[in-house]
Amino acid sequence: MSTPVVHDPTTLPSDDNVNPYTFCVELKGGQWFLQKGKMIAYYGRIDFNGIGHGRLDRLLRTSFHSPLHASDWVVAEGSGKMLLADRAFDVNSFDLDEGNLTIRSGNLLAYQPSLALKQSIVPGFVTLIGTGKFVAASNGPVVFMEPPIRVDPQALVGWADCPSPCHHYDHGYMTGVMGGVRTLTGLGGVSGEEHQFEFVGAGTVLLQSTESLLPEAATGAPPQQPGVPGGHGSGHSSGHGGGHGGGQGQHGSTPRLPGQLGDLQRRFGL
Amino acid sequence: MFRLQGSKVLAVDMAGDAVRAKNGSMVAYDGQMAFKKMSGGGEGIRGMVTRRITGEQMTLMEVRGQGTCYFADRASEINLVSLGGDKLYVESSNLLCADGSLRTGTSFTGLRGGASGHGLFTTTVEGSGQAAIMSDGPATVLRVAPGYPLCVDPGAYVAHQGNLQQNFQSGVTFRTLMGEGGGEAFQIRFEGDGLVYVQPSERNTVGGEV
Repeated sequence: MSTPVVHDPTTLPSDDNVNPYTFCVELKGGQWFLQKGKMIAYYGRIDFNGIGHGRLDRLLRTSFHSPLHASDWVVAEGSGKMLLADRAFDVNSFDLDEGNLTIRSGNLLAYQPSLALKQSIVPGFVTLIGTGKFVAASNGPVVFMEPPIRVDPQALVGWADCPSPCHHYDHGYMTGVMGGVRTLTGLGGVSGEEHQFEFVGAGTVLLQSTESLLPEAATGAPPQQPGVPGGHGSGHSSGHGGGHGGGQGQHGSTPRLPGQLGDLQRRFGL
Repeated sequence: MFRLQGSKVLAVDMAGDAVRAKNGSMVAYDGQMAFKKMSGGGEGIRGMVTRRITGEQMTLMEVRGQGTCYFADRASEINLVSLGGDKLYVESSNLLCADGSLRTGTSFTGLRGGASGHGLFTTTVEGSGQAAIMSDGPATVLRVAPGYPLCVDPGAYVAHQGNLQQNFQSGVTFRTLMGEGGGEAFQIRFEGDGLVYVQPSERNTVGGEV
């Protein structure tokens, strides 16, 4: 107890946890995708390059499909051992075998390029598809649950193979004027648990044992396109058509033309 | 005699000897204890002035007595360090407790301190005995030997001991300025022979965003 374990490159595990809060990745000339700023130390020669690096184009073509998160991710390349950690949260690795898993974008630390990262249609989440290993952080150990289940939005880390994540609102949330006033103002008899995510079907749901989240990066808003849920940023949840003709719901100064390429701010995640 | 009670409380068994601890970090004791505030960390007038000038201020207290004294600070994880005549470099805010026989002082860290947002000076602990340092999450101890240097993110660095040269490594390129940087633009590279303590969490640093 009193003498701490001293690690050196030979005793550090290969692609495994050093302790519950630190994960060690071994690179042997290969590549890993890594969220920015999660590397705490490394031995050996490792280069970190941003997603926009020209040499990585071929890799990105197969394994990275989220322009909105591009500014958050880097590719680590070289040989050596690298330690990953995030705000002293629990860190775990998971293996996917020809599978898919959707995870809150802030909770994903790193993944092997044999997996493909795609933006989930649920805002703020990303989906990994393929075979390989990834590393995720959670505040408290991860709990695995089987659907059908309803979970608190803040405790949700991710889910695998579930075909139908949807919102569930308690009956009282929607009925009556007073119910509406209560939930909007928070006055009187609100439990704070009127809204859940509901999962049905076969699969696994991953939960963390706390409701405090990793702070969301400002990036990750879905593109503003017709039919994309949550595509309007904050506030305007439109849905009812409203005053805007055509149902496109643009409220910015310049309407986006169909087929217009992503503009520079979006490319940089601003 | 230092031992950990859980991972966040330090218990020190004393038999008439003294330890130096961060001011106000005592949470409980049994036996007879006397607490004395030490201005300037017990380094005398010269030490006091140095600390005032370098901004590496720490308020320590001397605890002397018979029995067991318990120390903790803001539920940080505590790591024990044993020193056998070598030198421990640690930020004054991360030092919880040290044997009374250890000498403390300040030293210049160079650019590393500037990048990690700590200031340009750090605290040294020297001699033979035990010390306790704090970290956000349990620290990982990494050995550096001539064959294998180590690069550390300035935000995760907590302390190091032994005969190490540190130099500051910057990977800032024009891509960083374009917002397409590697995210790990600043690193401290340790070479030589010794131990480095890193915490599984990153403080916000000047270099953290590039």
